[in-house]
Amino acid sequence: MTVVAQAQDRLGQALACFVDAYQSRPELVAEQRGWSPIIVLAASDADARVVVSLEDGRVARVGGAAKVPTLEVTAGLDILCDVLMLRRDPNEPYLFGELSVLGAEADFVRLDYIVSRLCPQ
Amino acid sequence: MPAVNNAERPGPITLVATGCGTAIACVCALGLGEIERRLGGVWSVVAVGVAALLCAALARALGRLTAVVPSGAGLLAFLSRGLGRRWALVLMLPYVALVLALVAVEARIVGAVNARLFAIPPAVGALAFVVFTWAVARSGVRPGLRAQAAATGALVIGFSALAVGAVVAAARRPDFAAHLLPAPPSLMAMLGGVGQALFLFMGFELVTNQVELVRAPGPIASALSRSVRLLGFSTLAPEAGGSGLAGDGWLTPQLGLGSASGNPLGAAAIGILCLLASFTSFNGALLTLSRLVYALASQGMLPRRLARMDARRMVPPNALAALLAAVVALTFLLSTHALINAVLAGSAAAAGLVWAAAVAVRERPPFVEPGRPRRRQIAAFALAVLFLVFGVSALAEGVVGTSPARVEVALAH
Repeated sequence: MTVVAQAQDRLGQALACFVDAYQSRPELVAEQRGWSPIIVLAASDADARVVVSLEDGRVARVGGAAKVPTLEVTAGLDILCDVLMLRRDPNEPYLFGELSVLGAEADFVRLDYIVSRLCPQ
Repeated sequence: MPAVNNAERPGPITLVATGCGTAIACVCALGLGEIERRLGGVWSVVAVGVAALLCAALARALGRLTAVVPSGAGLLAFLSRGLGRRWALVLMLPYVALVLALVAVEARIVGAVNARLFAIPPAVGALAFVVFTWAVARSGVRPGLRAQAAATGALVIGFSALAVGAVVAAARRPDFAAHLLPAPPSLMAMLGGVGQALFLFMGFELVTNQVELVRAPGPIASALSRSVRLLGFSTLAPEAGGSGLAGDGWLTPQLGLGSASGNPLGAAAIGILCLLASFTSFNGALLTLSRLVYALASQGMLPRRLARMDARRMVPPNALAALLAAVVALTFLLSTHALINAVLAGSAAAAGLVWAAAVAVRERPPFVEPGRPRRRQIAAFALAVLFLVFGVSALAEGVVGTSPARVEVALAH
């Protein structure tokens, strides 16, 4: 497996872990009713990128291309994987400039809320 | 839960208005009045002009920082990447604390304006303003960027028109020339005046937070430079008026601007503009600070209780409540001329310190370009030193320098 493929695989597995955690919380999914974003997660230090689409709060699609994402999250591969695997609160790398989010604040705050509900305190 | 619509990306005018809207507040008129009182005439204009030039250079540096780290966390993110987390927090702490104190001073001014215009007790007017603005933020209602742009446009046009009116009225006075060219101030007073003028631009850098929404650093860099130009114009105009701001009631010099313009509707118009300026500034500060408090609390740097998020309104209620309590307490604590002057001077010093750090960080990895000419690095170093010197001078002049009147604010009502 090439380095690029390894990075992509690692990110994909981390995303799958996050999606599982999210879907196992039906009350949290229900809270997001009406929210249908396309979220791109891209590693800044590796050629790895994943896309997840939500429809009415439920995960509709993982993977594929996103021409105009609602949110674009960029960070180092390790940071992205740690956040997706709920080992790290995203606020920390965000505050200190190691994770950036492009998109409307309302969507960003909602994603942050979901992660904070899933993250063990 | 209601659907969340993606906001449209703001255009250049909206971005400039965002930068200016945060910087323009009633407390700026107080700062202008202080500069005019200490320096006067053309020397005040020089002080504001120098501050504008420095901020224009800072805007270029901030444009580069935003291009490399496009983060809504703004200065904290930039300084963390350039200097490390600990130094970034140490540098930002006084800045954030003084923003809260400025909000409290702003509330006092609103109370004083209301007292003069509507005969409401100042404390009641101040408290009502704070609680109303907090309630709007707590409800999850966020004024759209275009609404904020319209409000800022009204402010800039309104204050500039009144300032021009004041210039015309002042030009008819026989002592106008003497007023324009008073005796030169001391070097320390001049340095302090420039430092105090830095305070007038405080907040323009928050336009970097909009990079998340704009999704491109180019428009942010342009908006930073244009915001400085517009703020420079809108603050130079009243200083060039050379009247009003240092005359009428100490806490409400802007009302003097209204009467100096000779327009009978001036005072009422100024009153409404003041409320608008205060609301947009406080609203922006509350939203930004509550997000910061929430994020710091989620890291355990503040009590974890503050990291709760209201799932329906998507606002951190406990962080907002803590900010409300802090602002109310400060509004009652900052009750004297000397204390308010100290807040203004401290804000100028804190801004000078943080901006000096931002300029210095621009010349460090990951922001500096490979092979950047040495002369540019020397120029950046000189700019950082100037920010520090002017900031410290403002502090020295404002805190330990002599003040013409240290009276209870209650007397100014």
